[in-house]
Amino acid sequence: MGIDQLYQNLEKMKKLLMTLIILGLGSSALAQTYNTFEPSKTQFMLRGYGHTGFEYLDTGGEQESTFLGATFAPIFLYKHSDKLMFEAELEFELEGNELKTGLEYADVMYVLNKHMTVRAGKFLLPFGTFMERLHPAWINRLPSRPLGFGHDGIAPASDIGVELRGAFDLGGPKMNYAVYVTNGPRIKDGSEEPEEAGMLDFGYYEDVNLAKALGGRIGLLPLSDSSMEWGISAYTTNSTGAEDSDYKEVGAFLWALDLSYVKSITPLQGVVDIKAQYNSSNVDTATYYEIEDGISEPYSFDNQSSSFYTQLSYRPIMSGSDFIKQLEFVGRYSDFNAPEGAEWEEKSTQYAFGLNYWLSWRSVVKLSYQTTKMEGGHDSDGTTRTNGLFVHWAIGF
Amino acid sequence: MASIMVACSSNKKPIATDTATEVAGSEVDFKIEKSGAQLWGEVCNRCHIAPSPADYNDTDWETISLHMRVRANLTEEEITKIETFLKSAN
Repeated sequence: MGIDQLYQNLEKMKKLLMTLIILGLGSSALAQTYNTFEPSKTQFMLRGYGHTGFEYLDTGGEQESTFLGATFAPIFLYKHSDKLMFEAELEFELEGNELKTGLEYADVMYVLNKHMTVRAGKFLLPFGTFMERLHPAWINRLPSRPLGFGHDGIAPASDIGVELRGAFDLGGPKMNYAVYVTNGPRIKDGSEEPEEAGMLDFGYYEDVNLAKALGGRIGLLPLSDSSMEWGISAYTTNSTGAEDSDYKEVGAFLWALDLSYVKSITPLQGVVDIKAQYNSSNVDTATYYEIEDGISEPYSFDNQSSSFYTQLSYRPIMSGSDFIKQLEFVGRYSDFNAPEGAEWEEKSTQYAFGLNYWLSWRSVVKLSYQTTKMEGGHDSDGTTRTNGLFVHWAIGF
Repeated sequence: MASIMVACSSNKKPIATDTATEVAGSEVDFKIEKSGAQLWGEVCNRCHIAPSPADYNDTDWETISLHMRVRANLTEEEITKIETFLKSAN
C-alpha cells in the first residue's frame, strides 16, 4: 500500500467519521427537540367498544334469524389533572328500524386521598359487579346478559347522584367499598303499562319524590394474589312513588352477593374464571288495578323477585398451540323469579355455552348456544322454551 | 459516539425495580412487595384480559389508569405500580 493510497483511505475514514458525527448530533438535536414536547396536563381520550353479529332463535317452533346491527359505545375520558376526571359513555344501537341512543354514564370524579374518591353525576351502580365491570361486549364472555340484568331486570344498572368509593390494602388481603345516594327508582303503577304494575323503573332519572335511594357495596379480596373477591351490596329507598300518588309510601330494599375467582392454574394449563351474582329485590306490597271487562279490579301480590347467575370460563393460555391458547370455553347458568301474582310473574332458567376466539386482548369472536325455559312472563301464561345460536364479534378500543 | 446513540435510542426509565419481586425494607420486613408486572397480570385479569402495554403511549396510560382506578376500585398502590409498568414496557 502506497503513501497516497493510505492517505486516501484516511480521508475516506475522516469523511465517514464526520458523517457519523453529523448524523449523531443531528439525531441528538432532533431527540432534544422531540423531548421538549411535553404532553399537556389535561388530556381528552376516546375509548369504547362495539359489537355486531348474527342470531338464530327458535321460540316454541317459531324461528327467526337476523344479522345484528352494530352497537357502538364510545367512552369519553377527560383527565383534568391527576385527581380530577370526567367520564361519559354513549350507546348507539340499532333496534327494530330505529337508532336507539343512551347515556350509559356521565360523571365527574375527584380523588380526595389514597382511600377516597368522590363521583357525581350519572354513574354505574356498584350493585354486584356484572353491570359495573363485566357487561361491556368485549368483557362479557357470552353474547347475552344473564337473566335478571338489562331490560326488565331487577338489578339496577345506573343512577344519578353522588358516590364515595375507595380501597384499602390490608397487608395482603384487600378491601374496597362504595357508598352512594341517588334519585332512586320509580315504581310502575300500571297506568301506562298494566302488565308491568309493581316493577321498579331504574331508567327514570328525574326524581319523582323527595326520598333518595341509599346504597353501597363492600368487596373483600381475601387472598394475597387478589384472585378471589366476595362482595355484598345493598340498595334501599323508602319511597318509589310520586310525591302526590298512592305509591309514595312504597319502599324497596335490594341486595346482592357476588363472587369472582380468576386464577392461572398450571396443572390445567390455563386460566379459570368463575363469576357469580345473586340479586334480591323486595318492594313493599301495594294495590294495583287491572281492567277486566271495563271494570277496574284491585289486586295485590308479595312483590319479591330474585335472580342468580354463575359462569365458568377457561382459557388454555399455556397450550403449545398458538391457536388453542386463543380459545376460551364458557358455560353459564342463570335464573330469574318474578313475583307470583304479578302480571309479570315469571320463572325462568337459562343455560348458555360458548366458544370464544380471542383475536387480541380486546377483540373476541363469540360462538354460543343458549336455551331458556320461561314459565309465565309478559307475553304468555304457559311455558316457553327459546333456543338460540349466536355469533358475535366484539372489540374494545 | 456510542453513548450518544444509546442516549438517543430511548428515554424510558429502567424497569428493573418494577419487574422484579423484591423484599421491602425494615418497616415491613416480611411483606413481599409485588411488582407492577405481577399486579398487571393479577388485577387486570379479574375482569378482562390484561392489556398490551404497547397499545397506548404514556399519556394515554395515565388517563386510562385514573379511569380504571375508580371503575375497578383499585388501591393507590396497585394502580401506581401497574401504570409505572405499562409506561415502562410500551
